[in-house]
Amino acid sequence: MTPPASSVALQMSRIEDTVHATQGKPGRGFALLLAIAAVCIGIGAYSWSLIIRFGMQYTGLNRPVGWGIPITDFVFWVGIAHSGTLISAILFLFRARFRTAVYRAAEAMTVFGVMTAGLFPVIHLGRPWYAFWILPYPNQRTLQINYRSPLVWDAFAISTYFAVSLMFLLAGLMPDAAALRDRSTGLRRRFYALFALGWRGTAEEWRHHGRAYLFFAAFATPLVISVHSVVSWDFAVSIVPGWHSTLFPPYFVAGAILSGVAMVITLLLPIRRALKLTELITMQHLEMLSRLVLLTSLIVTFSYATEFVLAIRGGPSPERDTLHYRAIGAFAPFFWLMVTCNCVLPLLLFLKRVRGSQLGLLVVCLFVNLGMWFERFNIVVSSLEHNRIPFDWASYHPRPTEFGITLGSFGWFFFWFLLFLRFLPAVSIAELKEETAGGHGEVKHAA
Amino acid sequence: MPHEPGLLAVFADPADAARAVRAARQLGHKGVRAAMPAPFPELLESMDLPRSRIGAITFAGAVFGAAAGLALTVGTSLRMPLMVGGKPIVSLPAFLVIIFELTVLFGALANFIGMLVGAVLGRRRSWMPRDPRFTRDRIGVFLPGAGPALLAMLQQSGAEEVRHVA
Repeated sequence: MTPPASSVALQMSRIEDTVHATQGKPGRGFALLLAIAAVCIGIGAYSWSLIIRFGMQYTGLNRPVGWGIPITDFVFWVGIAHSGTLISAILFLFRARFRTAVYRAAEAMTVFGVMTAGLFPVIHLGRPWYAFWILPYPNQRTLQINYRSPLVWDAFAISTYFAVSLMFLLAGLMPDAAALRDRSTGLRRRFYALFALGWRGTAEEWRHHGRAYLFFAAFATPLVISVHSVVSWDFAVSIVPGWHSTLFPPYFVAGAILSGVAMVITLLLPIRRALKLTELITMQHLEMLSRLVLLTSLIVTFSYATEFVLAIRGGPSPERDTLHYRAIGAFAPFFWLMVTCNCVLPLLLFLKRVRGSQLGLLVVCLFVNLGMWFERFNIVVSSLEHNRIPFDWASYHPRPTEFGITLGSFGWFFFWFLLFLRFLPAVSIAELKEETAGGHGEVKHAA
Repeated sequence: MPHEPGLLAVFADPADAARAVRAARQLGHKGVRAAMPAPFPELLESMDLPRSRIGAITFAGAVFGAAAGLALTVGTSLRMPLMVGGKPIVSLPAFLVIIFELTVLFGALANFIGMLVGAVLGRRRSWMPRDPRFTRDRIGVFLPGAGPALLAMLQQSGAEEVRHVA
């Protein structure tokens, strides 16, 4: 229903005022959080410097467990980055209106998640100054990269995902930055003008913007599926038991969305209170997101079950040995923690009481985040520890350096995310304004 | 940017603005321009603007990306024909991943650049007075070169403010 005439302008200015208020002078809490994030980055940087100066002995990596916590972190952060594109692009194409209030924060999370994930293959190299070898560049000996390798696919997929996510975020920010620019002065005005890219809100601009946004969504949708599929091929294309499975791409994509949406809820719950956005980001929005958590958790559970059943049936096999090792081996507690956090606890979201409760949602989503990190740890480490022949069996004992780098990655992610919340609108002003006049609609054009 | 004289009406409601635009068009005024804080479908439809041709630029970018991906993978593999893992020198199924990623990358880049260029050219072609309210909570409708008949229509259409732009 369209609201009375005068109330449309009133609602639009109220939305803008609410979002503008989030850009005010931050309190001590913000400074403290930023300082904690900076300290974590410092710890991570120091830990990485140990590896650079003294070598890989500062990690627990060995032969054959050549992939450990850094690759676990890489897959975890790529997964976190997936919800943003799901919420902005896929839900946009499905015209899911609840995305309006939450997609901006999720998009920002995507960009910062990819920025964090991208660090890990470089950290994991041990000699980061050779990272450029993964890129194709002309050289004297005409040496070329191996395009048949999933690691090369990964480099292309992740960098494309970062570029497209950034452009998608910037395209959505333009009208909002213009609105904030037009009510600011001095340095702040110049800052917003940088993101507004000359936006003035003319019909000509909206005409191109609407179409471009649709194409961004159309590009981002297959991209988001391809990126985590490519990440899953890092494992599935090898012949290691526990990795070599055609199930991996859909299983990884569903897992990525599960962890990503859980992280969005984990972040939005405190943000909406701290920035006084409870009127714009309502519990109903979060409840809709929690349904996505529930759905993807069920898909992940189905994937686990398929993987287990396929490993068990058909007699003894390396696949079955790996499953036994995961379930009763050195890291068995982590395996059962993963099953509990990703398959059992999300079932609580069937209860409306839990979905509608801030505390309930926060607890479930925090455990899902934890469970998804351990899922990646289980996949990466336990398969390498228990390869086909006993000669290839080994143990992996992570070193403090690796935990320091993981802590640093959280610091790095939250540092950028906090700066984003402080300097740019965390919700889409223009799309919320559009809803005041009767909601979204497809514009029918002439010819 | 060419400055044009005309009539500027400020509306609080997009429905009123859409009605005014339709009335102006019925009275024979072509070239109606508007600025608004959000893409209100009713108002944009009333202006009967042609569909943006940004799709052609995006498509060209995507085709270029696909061609670049194919040239990069096949070209460099043929330049250095090193057999790896018994797989063919030109392993198209594996190369498709790179080709797909570059298609999306260049398509999205062209889309972004096309949007910016389209917006700049559109602003230049259809000048309208600047007002910070148009990015906040009001809708501006500008009728370049409009006369007294349109002034009366705008005043009766629910506009909060109607003024001449010299």
